[in-house]
Amino acid sequence: MGEREELYRLPREELLSGGHQGISGYGGTIAVRQALKALGPNTVIVVPASAVATVGGLNTSTAWRIPFVHSLFECAPAMATGIRAALEIKGKTGVTLVSFAGDAGSADIGFQSLSGAAERDEDIIHVCYDDEAYLNTGGQAGGTTPAGAQTVNTPQGKPTGKKDLLSIIEAHGAGYVASASIAFPLDFIAKLRKAKERKGFRYLHILTPNPATWGFAADQTIHIARLAVDCGLWPLFEVEDGGRRVTYAPVRRVPVADYIRAQGRFRHLTGDQIAAMQAQVDASAGGGR
Amino acid sequence: MRMLLSGNEATAHAARLARIEVFPVYPITPQAPMINSIVGFIDRGELKCAHKRMESDHSALAGAAGASLVGARAFTASNSQGLALMHELLFYTAGLRLPVVMAIINRALSAPHCRFPDHSDAIAQEATGWLQLYCENNQEVLDTVLQAFRIAEDERVLLPVMVNFEGYILGHTKEVVEVPEQEAVDAFLPAYSRAVVDVEHPAAINTATNGEIYMEYKYLQHRAMQGSLTVVKEVNAEFAERFGRDWGGAVELYRGEDARALLVAMGSAVSTARIAVDEMRAAGQPVGLLKVRSFRPFPADEIRSVAAGVRALAVIDRDIIYGVGGALHREVQWALAGDAVHKPVLSYIAGMGGRDISVADVKAIGQDVLAATEKGSVPMGAHWVGLKADLVGEAK
Ligand SMILES: Cc1ncc(C[n+]2csc(CCOP(=O)(O)OP(=O)(O)O)c2C)c(N)n1
Repeated sequence: MGEREELYRLPREELLSGGHQGISGYGGTIAVRQALKALGPNTVIVVPASAVATVGGLNTSTAWRIPFVHSLFECAPAMATGIRAALEIKGKTGVTLVSFAGDAGSADIGFQSLSGAAERDEDIIHVCYDDEAYLNTGGQAGGTTPAGAQTVNTPQGKPTGKKDLLSIIEAHGAGYVASASIAFPLDFIAKLRKAKERKGFRYLHILTPNPATWGFAADQTIHIARLAVDCGLWPLFEVEDGGRRVTYAPVRRVPVADYIRAQGRFRHLTGDQIAAMQAQVDASAGGGR
Repeated sequence: MRMLLSGNEATAHAARLARIEVFPVYPITPQAPMINSIVGFIDRGELKCAHKRMESDHSALAGAAGASLVGARAFTASNSQGLALMHELLFYTAGLRLPVVMAIINRALSAPHCRFPDHSDAIAQEATGWLQLYCENNQEVLDTVLQAFRIAEDERVLLPVMVNFEGYILGHTKEVVEVPEQEAVDAFLPAYSRAVVDVEHPAAINTATNGEIYMEYKYLQHRAMQGSLTVVKEVNAEFAERFGRDWGGAVELYRGEDARALLVAMGSAVSTARIAVDEMRAAGQPVGLLKVRSFRPFPADEIRSVAAGVRALAVIDRDIIYGVGGALHREVQWALAGDAVHKPVLSYIAGMGGRDISVADVKAIGQDVLAATEKGSVPMGAHWVGLKADLVGEAK
């Protein structure tokens, strides 16, 4: 089946309906939309404090068409733990339970509960949507912000590198771990479908560029997301029961400079610095990390 | 069945009898024996419940909130540092109107580090929207945990409840406790299943709000807390009828007949004060005791009417609000503020960090308050019972 046909066969239904307040070009809601195509209506979603938690509606209106629980910032996987325990004890089977958190809600303040749920092998899917900053509070740098990126609180560029949460969760022994990109929806959806069929703790980490904080035009989100993969900085892979598989290998990798130069947050980087990034990517070439 | 149980064990039995369904918890001294007891019940097949070994106290309450959203009966236990860490979850659980019950085995807060009891841990959470009930012995602990579920799950309330009892003093001390039969408890406490999160009926929980509706939401929450006072009393009355034990509802007046002055206390100090009052009465001294069982909701009207006949009160606080004094004292003063006749309300801080509150201590307070009925005026501020003057540089 060709890609076009596959896309055509996705459910039409939008479980995060139009009318949400995500700004145009915002990668977070694009990731939600894609995810819900795979997850379907029999899903409970827990979203901690984040941009995605707040764009879904105001007061008594909501764009969510599945049960949506806005948890506190640092404990979406912990709330999901209680929800799953209750579903089981009440004999409610067949419900897909997802904690869907930003990078801070996963890698920083949310890390404790994420790590706990992973270690206990809770029967939940955790999706980290990674916009490499704290969008909801104005775009501050966090653990997954890459080295060199300018943010409101790293005006000279972040001096330290990106926390490798995928490897960290893999090291917990999670049964299923995968990276994803909103530029590769079918890859993401296939991974989520696979995850959905499994039990226990499953982890997906999707890169979700954001125009305002990364510094590109709102119609370039998918393009930027694709460049991240095509230049080798954001490889697409999955680790199933310890077996690693690259799910997409660019035919010819584009220069890292193409990705870096397309974003305002890296505008101050020198040619040497970009060359060093290129060297790093080359050293880890062949996929995976 | 009569059993010799610590407060921790009595709580575990109550949890078993209440048929709790989800128990997410994180260990903290001196609550840990309760976890072991409940896990034992689950292990031996005496309780069908998911024990979730959480990675923090904060996550424990998050888990309980999640379970409650699905309509499971959720229970947890904590104190001091753990309770403080839960702080934001306390507001969240109450705001979502989730009938979670939590046992608080009261313990002093750091710094300095102290694992012994006082009430400051729960008092510090007074504004979070949880009901707070305080127990004087292990039988009351068991009975109150059972009542707490009934109160919390009442459609007129739908608020979480803390059941407080002091660590070690009650938590680790064995007393004879009557453990009711399962059938009797089932008849008193029916199964719970109010699911808010349900894929058949999708709803958005805790959407962002603004000034448009937030205030009304909070008003309703406040009203539910105020209204819960009736339910606290009703449930206690029904419990008394079914099980033959009456803990007084929100407050209990002990030996109030012809009392000229009242001692006011919460928790295990109440049982000590009963002895002190008996001895004073035997010596012809007209002192009564007011036990405050419900700190939240605060039974201000009842306290005002109970105190109508007395000339002075003395409040014993096992807590401190820095710069203010005792929390119970503050509340009692507020309750009496509208009275036409001004009554002296003496304030005592006692038993902090597990220091003993003796019968002699309470009798001394009783003498003070009787003297105040003559003088009509009281010294400003709180008197710290048994304070070691040399340690605070105030030795004469
Ligand atoms: C305990 C707590 N601390 C701080 C905040 C403020 N806060 C809300 S969302 C957020 C950042 C979220 O960042 P991320 O998880 O990356 O999601 P994004 O907004 O970028 O989508 C912060 C700092 C909060 N809600 N709760």
